[in-house]
Amino acid sequence: MKHTALHSEHIRLGAKMVEFSGWEMPVLYSSIIEEHNATRERAGIFDICHMGEFIVKGPNAASLLSGLIPTDINRLEPSKAMYSCLVNERGGTVDDLFIYMRDVDDFFLVVNASRKDTDLAWMRGHAPSSGVEIVDVSDETAKIDVQGPMSPDIMKAVFPDAGSEGLRRFYSLETTLDGETVMLSMTGYTGERGYELYMPVSASVSVWNRLLDAGKPFGLVPVGLGARDTLRLEAGYSLYGHELTEEISPVEAGLGWLVNSKDSHIGRDVLTSQKERGAPREIVCLRMRDRGVPRDGYPVARDGEEIGVITSGGFSPTFKVGIALALVKRGSVGVGERLSVMMRGRPRDAEIVPRPLYAYNG
Amino acid sequence: MSDIPKDLKYTEEHEWVRMEGSVGVCGITDYAQEMLTDIVYVELPEVDIEIGQGEQVAVVESVKAVSDVYAPLTGTIVEINEELEDSPEMVNDDPYGEGWIFKIEIENDDELEELMDAEEYAAFIESMEEEE
Repeated sequence: MKHTALHSEHIRLGAKMVEFSGWEMPVLYSSIIEEHNATRERAGIFDICHMGEFIVKGPNAASLLSGLIPTDINRLEPSKAMYSCLVNERGGTVDDLFIYMRDVDDFFLVVNASRKDTDLAWMRGHAPSSGVEIVDVSDETAKIDVQGPMSPDIMKAVFPDAGSEGLRRFYSLETTLDGETVMLSMTGYTGERGYELYMPVSASVSVWNRLLDAGKPFGLVPVGLGARDTLRLEAGYSLYGHELTEEISPVEAGLGWLVNSKDSHIGRDVLTSQKERGAPREIVCLRMRDRGVPRDGYPVARDGEEIGVITSGGFSPTFKVGIALALVKRGSVGVGERLSVMMRGRPRDAEIVPRPLYAYNG
Repeated sequence: MSDIPKDLKYTEEHEWVRMEGSVGVCGITDYAQEMLTDIVYVELPEVDIEIGQGEQVAVVESVKAVSDVYAPLTGTIVEINEELEDSPEMVNDDPYGEGWIFKIEIENDDELEELMDAEEYAAFIESMEEEE
């Protein structure tokens, strides 16, 4: 199993470690609920070093990317980032990713750990023979997230540049700490205002500990994968392998807003048709009315007829109730209507609620 | 290191039993609650049902996982800890005390001999951790 450079820091902090996509990662340090609430109320710091990072650069970089994603690449400008996905010919999702434009012909991509090798092969398989270079920089790149309402104060204590006006939501800037280059971006996947930081692996322990120290007066705590998942689920964000797979299109996943490119790209016909005429399935957000916690894979039914399945479910520490995202036949249910979640064979009452349950707090 | 009281009996599924006359008070061990993390819901059995040793009798849900609880002994459920409906976290806070889950009037004393004592359970946990 692979270890991040912060592994010994996690052990020192008493983390409970688990296997995740080939990496040994902290699932929690104290308690998922405590770490979740700390991120919502104050701030949390996350080791996200396992994720994959690529550099795509050269005169053909933008045109390669625009052929692979359904989102208009022209919406980017240097220092700006956007969320998008790689799509296959059937409209299914190869991966979801963040694309940072560093310069007009220089992009920095962040992809899921479990999909990194697939993504790399996919992109290289579609790249022109010249004019673009795709470099996997995952092994030398560390990623640390700081999320939560107090995160700007904590960031400014370590990186004075974090207070600059240029660093607003979905923008990034490069700064230095002890001579090492660190890219700060105001992005994240928790539903809170926050930052994602990219740096050479050699700088990661120092950055982690400086942020932890600076964050102490603000109530910053280290947060594991357990709370990372409850935070993103409350925020209604998709997780690859759950709401998004090679068989689920971004339109079905509720990410139709990503489909806006006028350029020719893989899967375009399927996605534009789904967007105009409707996709066969849709993701809905559920809130349990009965006790019990909906889990991934539980069937959902309406009037006794099975209409779909839970793709992500869990207990919401914020609302103190079971919540879920479910993939169901499109048009079978609307907000305010009831569904049954089959929990170990027994139907439990749930209500369709607007997505997300927890609105972005930025 | 998990807390393993000397006066209890244990199962390989991480339940514990404390005998009070012919009634066994049952719950899940400190090790089990630690593994499950924050417990958010306990589905209790019905009182008066008869249950066989090793049969699923309750469900414990944590933030991340769902786990069945099995009857350590054959018998009849005589009492359930209804306070867990509103305060499931008591299983985390006090697994051998206020976090007990159900009481069972046992039918067969011999079954008690099949359960592990504290020393055997400690060795069992250790062997599981080595496997990991």
